[in-house]
Amino acid sequence: MSALFGYIGRGAIGGVRIFLAVSLLITATMHWVFVAPFQRKGLRVRAAIEQFVIIGFDALPIVMLICLLLGAILAMQSAYQLDRFGVGYLVPDLVAVAAMRELSPLMTAILVTGRSGSSFTAEIGTMKVSEEIDALEVMGLNPIKYLVVPKFIGTMLALPMITLVATFTMILGGFLLSTLYVGQDMSVYIQRSADAFGWQDFLNGMTKSVFFAATICWVGVYRGFQTEGGAGEVGRMTTSSVVTSIFMIIIVDVVFTYLFFSV
Amino acid sequence: MGPAATEQNPNLIEVKDLVVRFGDRTILDGITLNVRRGENFVILGGSGSGKTTLLRNLVGLLRPHAGTIIFAGRDFTEMSDDERIRARQRMGMCFQGSALFGSMTVGENVALPLLEHTKLEKSTIDIMVKIKLELVGLSGFEKYLPSELSGGMKKRAGLARAMAMDPQIIFYDEPSAGLDPIVAAGLDMLICKLKQTFGLTSVIVTHELASVEVVADRVCLLHRGKIAAMGTLDEVKRSPHPYVQQFFERRPSEEAGSGEAYIQSLTGPVER
Repeated sequence: MSALFGYIGRGAIGGVRIFLAVSLLITATMHWVFVAPFQRKGLRVRAAIEQFVIIGFDALPIVMLICLLLGAILAMQSAYQLDRFGVGYLVPDLVAVAAMRELSPLMTAILVTGRSGSSFTAEIGTMKVSEEIDALEVMGLNPIKYLVVPKFIGTMLALPMITLVATFTMILGGFLLSTLYVGQDMSVYIQRSADAFGWQDFLNGMTKSVFFAATICWVGVYRGFQTEGGAGEVGRMTTSSVVTSIFMIIIVDVVFTYLFFSV
Repeated sequence: MGPAATEQNPNLIEVKDLVVRFGDRTILDGITLNVRRGENFVILGGSGSGKTTLLRNLVGLLRPHAGTIIFAGRDFTEMSDDERIRARQRMGMCFQGSALFGSMTVGENVALPLLEHTKLEKSTIDIMVKIKLELVGLSGFEKYLPSELSGGMKKRAGLARAMAMDPQIIFYDEPSAGLDPIVAAGLDMLICKLKQTFGLTSVIVTHELASVEVVADRVCLLHRGKIAAMGTLDEVKRSPHPYVQQFFERRPSEEAGSGEAYIQSLTGPVER
């Protein structure tokens, strides 16, 4: 019995510790992004742009390819089902709304987690293990300002932008499949897609992607700073970072989907 | 004595009653010591004696549990973030594994503190990087990546980076660890040269007796988180403390005495 309480207690203390550590990380990042630059402490704009290119631009080909195929799959799946009810003409609506509200923000976030979230953890974890983080501190360079802020700005800018591209690629995938394979009329499909487009749906997806971006960045960075020991630990933390990040993204998604539908 | 000695206080670092704990393990227990300006101060000790922990406290990477660390007249633990950043520009540190940034060339590594802390022109920084690398015998290696250098070269590049801001003091964590005797001796010579030419203060953590003979002005021997002996190398060697004698004579620890004690160490204490 006491072992059970001990287990629960240790779990709770661990949870509180992680919560405090992540809060500190978030506060520090916000300070270095929004306060410090106005105290003339500088912002590493060049590094942020570099990160933006790595996180966003370099991810475009794979994100576009996957979303194109996903759009096609979505159109194919829904065409069969909707046809059974005689409303096959609703495929463009379904594809457009699903892509905007849900699928493209989620898919993009998961892909960026795999590409960039993991590399945040691996990079910072390796630097931690080889004392490079200590070296930064001893030189009087703040690791948050130096390492985290460029990644944060890069992710926050890049993710909504690639999500936007992903949304249109996904709709294009549905369009290509429906018109070329199923044989729907092109102009009708375009017309229906345009009618289905709503600012509300679009903004829902964009809002989600902003929060997904913050999740990817902070989970990746936090796991990196948690790394202690050697190369094996870097690998373990990177795995854990991707799993945690995807899990957190789904949680955030559930919360926002609930909020958007209940408001 | 170097130019730093013009300031009044002969001590650059004053440590008083330093206590460091990790969880309920006490690593350092009541350390009091002074590092004088312009001297090579060696912290000796066996593995696990707390010498690296002491060094990490001196540079402010760890916060002590109790006690004070005064650097150039100011308490390190009470400094604001800005003050600490300024204080750190006056110190350099050589890490055990060199801790060069793997994604940057050697030249960029050395230039980094200058780029971040000064408003110097790019061309001036280039020249300063050349001077620092020349100083450690690595001229011409600006464009190399750390992974392309040998262990000894990495250590020297790390030293060049530590020297970048012209610090008053350099901390060395196990400078000769993992180096062959010739390269290690070269590094010792370099440490002495920096002291003679620039009046640099050095704090060196090591367990290499051979290198202590060469570099040390004063030595402090740590044993189980306490100072076992402190003074010049000869003074320390004359200390009657049994651990000090054992350390300098390189005698292994005595084996567990009786057979019974050995069995107990395997099975845990026997209840009677």
